[in-house]
Amino acid sequence: MVTKKERRMGEKSPVLYFIMPALILVAVILIFPLLFAFGISFFNWDLIDESARGFAGFANFVNIFKDKDFWHALFLQLGFIFIAIPIEAVIGFFVAMLLNREFKGVKVIRSLLLLPVFVLPVLSGLTWRLMLQPEYGAISFLLTKIGVSQTTWLARPATAYAAVIIQDIWRMWPFMFMFLYSGLINIPPSLIEAADLDGAGFWDKVFKIILPLLKPTFTTAILLRLIDALRIFSEVFVMTEGGPGNATTLLSLYIYKQAFRYFNIGYASAMGIILTIISLTIAIFLVRKNMTMENA
Amino acid sequence: MLLISTFLFSQPYKGSTIKVLVWDETLTNAVESKLKEFEKETGIKVIFEKLPTSAILEKTALSVSADKTDYDLVAIDEPFIPQMSLLLTPYSEWPEGKIYSKIDLERDLIPGVAEGCFWEEQYMGLPVNANSYIWLTRKDIVNNEQYQKEFMQKYGYELDIPQTFDQLLDISEYLSTKGIYGFAPFTKNMEGATCEAIFMFESYGTNVLKQVSEHDFEVVLDREKAVEALKMYKELCKFSPPGWQDMGYAERVPVFNQGKVFSMFQWPAIVPDHEDSDQSVVAGKIYYGAPPAGPARRAPIRGIWTLAIPKASKNKEAAAEFAYWWSSYSTEKQLIEAGLTPARKDLLLHPRYIEQNPYFIAIFASIIDSVSRPRIEKYAEVSEIIKVNWLAGVTGRVTPEVAVDNIIKGVNEVLVKYGY
Repeated sequence: MVTKKERRMGEKSPVLYFIMPALILVAVILIFPLLFAFGISFFNWDLIDESARGFAGFANFVNIFKDKDFWHALFLQLGFIFIAIPIEAVIGFFVAMLLNREFKGVKVIRSLLLLPVFVLPVLSGLTWRLMLQPEYGAISFLLTKIGVSQTTWLARPATAYAAVIIQDIWRMWPFMFMFLYSGLINIPPSLIEAADLDGAGFWDKVFKIILPLLKPTFTTAILLRLIDALRIFSEVFVMTEGGPGNATTLLSLYIYKQAFRYFNIGYASAMGIILTIISLTIAIFLVRKNMTMENA
Repeated sequence: MLLISTFLFSQPYKGSTIKVLVWDETLTNAVESKLKEFEKETGIKVIFEKLPTSAILEKTALSVSADKTDYDLVAIDEPFIPQMSLLLTPYSEWPEGKIYSKIDLERDLIPGVAEGCFWEEQYMGLPVNANSYIWLTRKDIVNNEQYQKEFMQKYGYELDIPQTFDQLLDISEYLSTKGIYGFAPFTKNMEGATCEAIFMFESYGTNVLKQVSEHDFEVVLDREKAVEALKMYKELCKFSPPGWQDMGYAERVPVFNQGKVFSMFQWPAIVPDHEDSDQSVVAGKIYYGAPPAGPARRAPIRGIWTLAIPKASKNKEAAAEFAYWWSSYSTEKQLIEAGLTPARKDLLLHPRYIEQNPYFIAIFASIIDSVSRPRIEKYAEVSEIIKVNWLAGVTGRVTPEVAVDNIIKGVNEVLVKYGY
């Protein structure tokens, strides 16, 4: 006699078979490294000196909270996120609005605008570094033509940080555009037409119709960008190597430095865990907000 | 009999395979191009991997442990020898070669080179290049009669190759009136900036760290001398090309090759680029010498690359044979053509090679005077503190006094953190 439980298992098994390869892959390349990193975050784990390894309890986490370089790096990383992503969203939104109409060549323009997203981050970083070179760089050349004095943009803390952010905005605003444009074309034109008939102005339509309807799209786009921005590494590394001083040492770069320059793997893992917790907290908040909006 | 013995004793390592990890440079490209000869002679198959210098330590650390290694021979940059020494076979334990003789580090190499791989009373590998700062000065500028006359009138002594930083500063000031930059610094956020800091500190008679016992160090940086050194470097930077606040190899080589700069340091491996008339208008116009001296001494920085065999390697004999082949007279003689600055005394000081490469004499002089960067297992962290604060001082983000205080404080914190 087949029990209810066995039948239920039997019913589920085909589904399990289908998702098993994906589950195994996720377990091997994501879950295991994450658990391993979580484990060694409680150890002194010197990559070279095995004799120096040992259980450290919460010492790594305690030291992180005392580490002023960590707080500086976290501050820079959050600053980067909270400056770059809103600007990308605003540019992406208005360009999407502008191109959400039919005119000759619009399809070509829409496609061309996406090009920066496909540029490899490391190439983008290198290109910006060259463009900002004070004597031969294209941007420096143009700026000197309009009267800005020759400046070593990447050698000054404020301008280097700004350059890293501008580079990211240049590369990633089309990502926002892509998302928001796809959201815009799904807004029924009848709603806009009705608002027009009621005499609504441009900003009324934006704030009272378009933005509320685009909220789920915005949330998803921002969530994806956020996850990406928390991992930013290669473009900053090739542009500034975290310098001048520590002016562009974002948390991801600081973790790399601790892990692969100083070989403090346990300490770096603990910081990685903190970064993961920050990412998950923001992601859960945004997903819940999205779900609440959908339910509403 | 001869045929039989030739057959029996040729390729004594037949069937062996070794994996070698080296830095990517003209020299290692040249070594790679000769691998077939080595493989044919010894029967050792060589898997030769090259990585940018900045990535090689990271790769080594990830690939080599006390009981497991992906490589049988790895190249290690001098300042990281203390840190990696735990994983390496001391040179005294390297097996004798079957075809190529084991190099005697103290007899066969230039004095000073072997110190690059010395740690805790042992040599940790086989140094393969004589790498230390040499100073490049434009001969054509020094020999310009009009400049000589004007300089003598203004400064009261002859325009010549600068022997001290004060002279370099005078010449730089004078040349600035002729549209020539006196000096090209290294100010990129890279290891080169630490080298510059140590170079200046040592020239002014101070250093950052002193080993007081086997596992104990103390910070010995003399504040006054270090501040003076930093101030002099800042003064020299006033006569540097635009963008001097962010200059690395990629910026310094072209400005010098374009004839815009009078004087600067260089690593020997890059000298062939300056002497290549296809890319340098100053080829043949450069005088090579030891760096100018500070009030205390000349202090060229040394950066020897060492071939090292991991303790966990299962092919130590074949790996050692490869290293001996690389360092042999016959191989290095050919590598000179590719830009090698040989570590062997009999090649660096050979009249024929000195004639072809006049800078060999300068390198010899530099190596004799050379100084190392701080020798400590946690060098990377110490270097980072020196670099960040030195650059902050040089570029004027903080005063020289604050920069030096921060170096002293930061390095002390590292020592405390690791229980020194």
